[in-house]
Amino acid sequence: MQSRGSIRVFLIASLVFACFLCLNAYASERKKSIEPLPQPPSPKYNTTTPEKVELGKKLFFDRRLSGDGTTSCASCHDPEKTFTDASEISLSYPTTRNFRNAPTLINIAYAKSFFWDGRAKTLEQQAEFPIMSPFEMNQNLDFVEEEIRIVPEYREAFRRVFGQEVNIKLIAKALAAFQRTLVSQNAPIDRYLRGDKNALSDEAKKGLEIFTGKGKCIKCHHGAYLSDQKFHALMVPENPKYANEEKFIVTRRYVAKINKYPDYMNIKEDLGRYFKTKKKADYKAFKTPTLREVAKTAPYMHNGIFKNLDEVIEFFNKGGGEGNRELKPLGLNDEEKRVLKIFLTEALSGDDLKIKPPEIP
Amino acid sequence: MKELEGKVKLVVKFFPYRYRDHARIAAEAAVEAWRQGKFAEMHELLIKKSPKLDRESLIAYAKELNLNVEKFIKAIDNMEGADIIERDLKLAKELDLYVTPAFFINGIKVLGVRDADYFKNIIFRELENAKQR
Ligand code: HEC
Ligand code: HEC
Repeated sequence: MQSRGSIRVFLIASLVFACFLCLNAYASERKKSIEPLPQPPSPKYNTTTPEKVELGKKLFFDRRLSGDGTTSCASCHDPEKTFTDASEISLSYPTTRNFRNAPTLINIAYAKSFFWDGRAKTLEQQAEFPIMSPFEMNQNLDFVEEEIRIVPEYREAFRRVFGQEVNIKLIAKALAAFQRTLVSQNAPIDRYLRGDKNALSDEAKKGLEIFTGKGKCIKCHHGAYLSDQKFHALMVPENPKYANEEKFIVTRRYVAKINKYPDYMNIKEDLGRYFKTKKKADYKAFKTPTLREVAKTAPYMHNGIFKNLDEVIEFFNKGGGEGNRELKPLGLNDEEKRVLKIFLTEALSGDDLKIKPPEIP
Repeated sequence: MKELEGKVKLVVKFFPYRYRDHARIAAEAAVEAWRQGKFAEMHELLIKKSPKLDRESLIAYAKELNLNVEKFIKAIDNMEGADIIERDLKLAKELDLYVTPAFFINGIKVLGVRDADYFKNIIFRELENAKQR
């Protein structure tokens, strides 16, 4: 008797547990929705203040941050080009070549990791990478501290904002604070989600249905940022234009080398997050980008291989790149593709942010 | 590019990158080639042969293009193109340009390396606009 009772208890317990599991799965499936943009975060370790933002904006446009004084953050994240450089492969430090596409910085406040491979965990950490990168700004961090500190206006501003002398960590903090203010304004999708049912045209609404339904886009592009903040190997093809370009190959080898990839001399592909983690699951995996403002940020993907949204939609419709295990053919017809594109273009584009280059001290 | 013949005017400005070894002397070579009526040919050759743009190589290119080599050597050694190059550098500064290549197509700024389609799109759109005006 005794043992029967305990088996029953165990059975009931496991049943309850199983139900709990399925509820959980149900909840996380249901959780995948598009949400309106909340206020951008102002993290405790670097609260956003108007003066800090002002300082960060100056630094963002200041060419002193590059070794030869030619390049500012805005060179590759140009406000007039929705904080991209509209190039397949981003611009580069003179005489070198970049190897990835420059993502937009709009709504970057909502990202949980940075770069296509997520190698930086905070915006503050991220800022040092392009400054040091030999193919981006090619600057020395100790040196740039002095270059900024020698400018009286900067010195005063750092004292005012941080109560400290200029240093690279504070430069990064100011840059991050500025970037956290770059937030989509008044996007139709946000008005729609907050209850204005007329904010989207009928076609955009149909497109939204494709996005959340037959197109399965919502699986990875969800939440307010329209990204699961995860990494997926969609097997986007290598961009053939650069396959034989020496400077491009140099940069890719260099990236593989500093990540201690043993066969870096023979590297022929961008292995994405794998470079950093060396985990099989990350092989050629790239971060799910936000889709907010996406109509203004062509070309697309980590290597800019797709010129326009039609090409991207076609890629997903045929089930992604060769050998991927994430996507299946969708069978969207021309009309469904058309309204999906209208959704992406119309619903997700906010007002243009009017950021003008400031006076550099 | 046949379709654009007679419709587009190309103006080239000099912008030798200040930290590149032979950029300046190569610009001098191009100015002198221009003075001898062979700018386009020299420009093409310089792009093709870059970064092999040291003095000796430049002189070889001048020979290849049948320029007056004696005059050419004198010009690049005495920096006879300096006035033109300095004028263009000043212009670049005024336009806040730091990136090469940089293009202005009817005032539309295009920075960095682009493929032919990218230019075609802009050029054809601008030609269309010009027609409507
Ligand atoms: C020469 C071009 C270039 C310059 C200059 C540059 N960036 Fe970038 N930026 C890129 C590229 C390319 C990437 C993507 C690189 C990657 O994922 O490996 C990127 C990525 C980023 C990201 C991550 C975006 C995301 O969605 O994960 C941020 C943030 C950023 N840059 C900010 C800056 C700041 C701040 C500066 C100035 C200190 C700067 N960038 C200078 C080209 C540039
Ligand atoms: C399995 C996850 C996943 C699904 C499902 C998915 N995406 Fe993506 N999407 C990604 C990832 C990851 C990238 C970046 C891939 C790369 O660059 O290699 C991306 C890139 C994009 C881009 C390019 C954005 C840019 O800034 O370059 C667009 C546009 C896009 N997706 C739209 C869609 C649409 C529309 C759908 C539905 C038809 C969809 N995605 C379904 C994960 C997904």
